[in-house]
Amino acid sequence: MTAALPVAGVRVVEVSSGVAGPLAACRLGDLGAEVIKVELAPAGDWTRGCPPFLADGTSSVFFALNRGKRGLGIDPARPSDRALLRAAVERADVLITDLASDRLAALGLADVDADVCPWQPRLIVVQISALGRRGPLAGKVGSELGVQAMAGYTRYVGTHGEPAVRLGADVAGCGTGIFAAQAVLAALFARGRHGRGQRVDLSLLNSLLAMKTVHLAAQSDPDAFEGPRVGGAYDPPERGWKTRDKPITFAFGGAVGAEGRPGWTQFVEAMGLSKMLDDPRYDKNGRLTTGLGPKARELKPEYEAAFVHHSAADVVARVRQYGGFASAYLTHDELMREPQVESLGIVREVEQGGAAVPVLDFPVRFSAAAHRLKGGAPRLGEHNAEIAAALAADASPRAASP
Amino acid sequence: MPGPLTGLRVVDVSIMAAGPWIGSLLGELGAEVIKVEPPAGDGTRWVEPLQHGMGTNYLCLNVNKQGIVLDFKTVEGRAAALELVATADVFIQNFRGGVIERLGLGYEAVRARNPGIVYCSVSGFGETGPLAKEACADFIMQAYSGFARLNGHRGNDVEAFRFTGFLDLTTSIVAVEGVLAALLARERDGAGQKLEISMLQAALEMQATRIAELFGSERSAQPLGSESVGLCPDRAFAVLDGEVFITAHDEAQWAGFCDVIGRPDLVGDVRFATNAARTRHRAELDAIVEPIFVARPMIWWQRACDRRRVPCAMAQNFEQIRYHAQVRDNEMVAEIATPQWGNVVVGGIPWHFATTPAEVTPPPVPGGDTQRILSALPAGRQPEKAS
Repeated sequence: MTAALPVAGVRVVEVSSGVAGPLAACRLGDLGAEVIKVELAPAGDWTRGCPPFLADGTSSVFFALNRGKRGLGIDPARPSDRALLRAAVERADVLITDLASDRLAALGLADVDADVCPWQPRLIVVQISALGRRGPLAGKVGSELGVQAMAGYTRYVGTHGEPAVRLGADVAGCGTGIFAAQAVLAALFARGRHGRGQRVDLSLLNSLLAMKTVHLAAQSDPDAFEGPRVGGAYDPPERGWKTRDKPITFAFGGAVGAEGRPGWTQFVEAMGLSKMLDDPRYDKNGRLTTGLGPKARELKPEYEAAFVHHSAADVVARVRQYGGFASAYLTHDELMREPQVESLGIVREVEQGGAAVPVLDFPVRFSAAAHRLKGGAPRLGEHNAEIAAALAADASPRAASP
Repeated sequence: MPGPLTGLRVVDVSIMAAGPWIGSLLGELGAEVIKVEPPAGDGTRWVEPLQHGMGTNYLCLNVNKQGIVLDFKTVEGRAAALELVATADVFIQNFRGGVIERLGLGYEAVRARNPGIVYCSVSGFGETGPLAKEACADFIMQAYSGFARLNGHRGNDVEAFRFTGFLDLTTSIVAVEGVLAALLARERDGAGQKLEISMLQAALEMQATRIAELFGSERSAQPLGSESVGLCPDRAFAVLDGEVFITAHDEAQWAGFCDVIGRPDLVGDVRFATNAARTRHRAELDAIVEPIFVARPMIWWQRACDRRRVPCAMAQNFEQIRYHAQVRDNEMVAEIATPQWGNVVVGGIPWHFATTPAEVTPPPVPGGDTQRILSALPAGRQPEKAS
């Protein structure tokens, strides 16, 4: 059965750089939207300059976030370019932008970020900033790294008092990209009910604080300042349990459950650690000594004394065999060779510059609503003539349609 | 106007973190969300730290919900659950592989009663493949997905994010993206469907840029301290009284950076002429700028960078974030009054809709809405038996 793509026919104009806006527009494209990527002369999206580069010279990050879009290059100083952008937005359902109001106005899009765009009331405008639309820091420039620091994320990697460490993933950019795609989908849903578009504001800092809810609540007014959610900032780096080849992490029993998991007993026997069975520090099936348990760090060497005689794969298999959960700390390269990843088929290939390049599939598996991954990230301004011709042929602004 | 999903009903039988926060986000968007707990309760009620005796995880991961208790081990409980699901637009579950089918609430059973249902099924590693039935947790997925291999100083091999639950919540936000897409598809053709969300795929989406670099270079990412592969400068600099976090994304910000450190001559230096060139000459750049930064305090660099529009930030802890004017003015955190556990600070709404605003409302008293919700079900249901 071929179901319609969820946002087939929806026209998205994206005027943004970096990770958040481009990722949101890319995933909407996978769901069926037609996306025009607008870039400002002379350099366009800054990720174009980020190594590593694919065989055809395209930045691998730019490609991954902008595949399947048509490229419109705009020189803000040229009235004809501004008119072209205006025409594209007038016929769009969605505008995703990381530009502030003054920059939008300078591009000929004044008032597009009103609560409801006065000249295109059906338009959904998703406006992404670093630090929020209002407040004393509104309009300030920001970055992934800076926002991680401001949101307190860098406190939970590295060692307190030593040089700071970032979270290696672009959590602010990717997280905001996911929230921005949600914002578009939810606003489209509302427009279907009420008939009107609206502006939705997101920011990198807001996204990280929304996703910090567990730690915010934990520190709010706790009965005791104990456990990883309140003390984690001052803990030493967490590197798992050593084995013969690479570190692993494992647990028997969750964070709760008074008696832990009985499989732990068989596990420690199988690993030659039976002495733990009579040791009161390991009572209740060792429930406090694995995973995030409060005794786990202190007793790690006692497990490692046995683990170092086994491969990580062996220890992980034993844990799973006895009902616990475990994984080795895999590199991305190792992960991509895992039978699980291969069987899920979550890495696909699309075309770029005449070659097949791997990409991550849409992160949700749908039973009916199909999605379709597109290739071909645009060169800067690659489709200007084509877009101009299509807009000229489309005589009726969308604002006039029901 | 109320939130965009007003009028929709969500039934959420998930427990712990990755599942429950899906319902909370849909609730913030305006849906009516019913959390169904077993008589033993969602384990997060006891996860430390507690606030006035209630697990803070329970409080923050179940905002915007009503709470009922049903015993799926009884015929009556399962029948009530199925009747409830028949009234829902979205169903959320995260039981270990195979369990939901045994409880009579598998997709086929639910669809038979409610063909329009958007059935959201959350797992650790996906629902097919050799690890389909393995349990998972945030720290396990940090290890498996390579997330922890990205963190640490140069030369380290691995460091977990000591911020438990981040990949659980990542799973939730990816799920909400899928649910909204499925709801839109349903608006068009009337049909529901099943969505499979794995922590694995969600964790990879959160690492989309690092995975893109892997595919572009065939080299796994390594820990780089505070730096990044793709940009330079983009790191923390030690200054007189701490650290500042500075990034230059483009040539304008690079030129600003050179002004800030009093070395405008570097703009014309061929080693640093483009971002790609700078990433190849990091050590040379660091040798020039590190002694400059260490001579002045954080606030001096912050002001200088602000003046030249160069991204610069200082690290903050909870108490600073909580009362920060920028955070409060933009409602990036929310303080909610709970029925019996006092006020609690939770994450703010991530999307600010201009005309259909989302909002955060308190979590339920566990099971507190059982009688009212079950008695409103179609005739034939006897709530006192079911509860």
